Amino acid sequence: MSDIAVVGDRAAWRDRAGAGIQAGSATMDARRALQLALAGIWLLDGVLQYQSFMYSKAFGQMLAGTADGNPSVIARPITWDATLVEHHLALVNTLFATIQVLLGLGIAFRPTVRAALAASVAWSLGVWWFGEGLGGVLSGAASPLNGAPGAVILYALLAVLLWPSDRGTPAPFTAARAVGVHVARALWLVLWLSLAWFALTPDNRAPQAVSGMISGMESGQPGWLAAIDRGAASLVAGQGLATSIALAVACIVIAAGVYLPRSAARAALALAIVVALVIWVVPEGFGMILAGGATDPNSGPLLVLLALAYWPVKTVTAATAERKAA
Amino acid sequence: MIPAWLLDMLAALMLVVAAVSAARLVMAWRRRSGPATADVDVAHLLMGIAMAGTLTAALATLPGTAWEVIFGLTTAWFAWRVWRDARASGVRALAGGHCAPHLVHSGAMLYMFLALAAPAGGSGMGGMGGTAGMSMGTLEYPTLAFAFALILVGYSAWDLDQLSGRRYSLATASVSLAPVGVSAMAAAESAVATFPGSSPAGDPEASPADEAVPREASKSRPALSAVLLSPGITVGCRIVMGITMAFMLVIMI
Repeated sequence: MSDIAVVGDRAAWRDRAGAGIQAGSATMDARRALQLALAGIWLLDGVLQYQSFMYSKAFGQMLAGTADGNPSVIARPITWDATLVEHHLALVNTLFATIQVLLGLGIAFRPTVRAALAASVAWSLGVWWFGEGLGGVLSGAASPLNGAPGAVILYALLAVLLWPSDRGTPAPFTAARAVGVHVARALWLVLWLSLAWFALTPDNRAPQAVSGMISGMESGQPGWLAAIDRGAASLVAGQGLATSIALAVACIVIAAGVYLPRSAARAALALAIVVALVIWVVPEGFGMILAGGATDPNSGPLLVLLALAYWPVKTVTAATAERKAA
Repeated sequence: MIPAWLLDMLAALMLVVAAVSAARLVMAWRRRSGPATADVDVAHLLMGIAMAGTLTAALATLPGTAWEVIFGLTTAWFAWRVWRDARASGVRALAGGHCAPHLVHSGAMLYMFLALAAPAGGSGMGGMGGTAGMSMGTLEYPTLAFAFALILVGYSAWDLDQLSGRRYSLATASVSLAPVGVSAMAAAESAVATFPGSSPAGDPEASPADEAVPREASKSRPALSAVLLSPGITVGCRIVMGITMAFMLVIMI
């Protein structure tokens, strides 16, 4: 008899359904769980793109603003794109938003996960250039506290690391399954060392740079978040250099963490998660979502996802992954 | 301003969800047996109508206070179901159980109606659409809106994964005959709980499982009604509704 269909005995059916809850939710491949989290962030990103602000001229102006300080070869296409968006605002923005929602749905839908991840890489690279001005990397505006090296490039990085294939060799963490241990570690190292570098640029280590950035996020935020911002801004007021050095040291420790033994690696990754969450809440203000007008949740949650992708796990091979999926 | 045509399209989508839910309820009623998810279908029907009215003023039906009462009741109902699941199955039921997503949906709707401040010069909760674009109200306690939106997109991604995996089926029969160990959401949303006395009397050959499966589903090609009553449709409706609800919450922050 089926374990599900029951005649005339609802209580018995409910008991069995309850038992199934435990059985059903007990197993999920870690990479698939991270893919779903990425899908969720894409969905949120797409939904944010439908906000009223994105249908105003301010959106085009915001895009055009990312050209500032970039070399002309980078800036000119951004200006062209911003003009195009301003002229066909409703159509283009709806298209942008819908593409992002579809990317999220595609990653969550198993048969289309590869196509959606591949498309998300292409889309992310396009947005990184045309929508974020390469995250301010070339203009000197990049800071780990404002989403450097550009939140959207982290989507692309995650798509590569969470690509649903296995190299056959045992992987000590999820991110190594698709690209291998050495490449995955190198990507992590480059990312966090670059964040350390950006933290120490002259603009970011100026005495009032960090506190100014934080207090600039207060506007439009709910009272509790504005209060946190005010407190944090006053805490680091005039301490730009010290704050930048502390942040850079933390980034370097995190960068090296994936090369350390398991327990030390876990500690470094936990530090990465804490740093990412602090960045997300304080200087990024949840990507300004609560203030309206956010185009994405910014880099905080993506850095957390990345750290989870590097979290040491029981060695994963293609065979064990297949068994789990089955 | 968000284009009015976009809101109209979403309102139409919500009406489709409401119509599908109504059709499921009618079919279940006609069979005098139906999915054990009648409460979910009722909730989807009401949410579809309420959301369509919120997106497009012309589709507004009941005043905001009535919707607050309705969604207060559905929230209380699903909270009770979740509490009962949690007692039976532990805290896992809160995250992966069959009723938890519906509790979040109902809670989000209740919050939306309670927290919406009428737009300047607007007509209150009786719909927010306009002819040229959306004249939005804004939500009080935007942190809560953000939290609900996050959970809703999370559940939508999870549901879509499960829908494309082996947890749900578009054919009621195949799910009803699923082997032991199939997960609970599939169980809860696919189970056909036949009411006592509704099985064909005097049919000794009919196994309990056979009785539980709609007649059409036992044919080799599932009929439209079997597809409509399948768990996949319920979950599909939930995904569409969850994303649209997240959209509404975000644009009203």
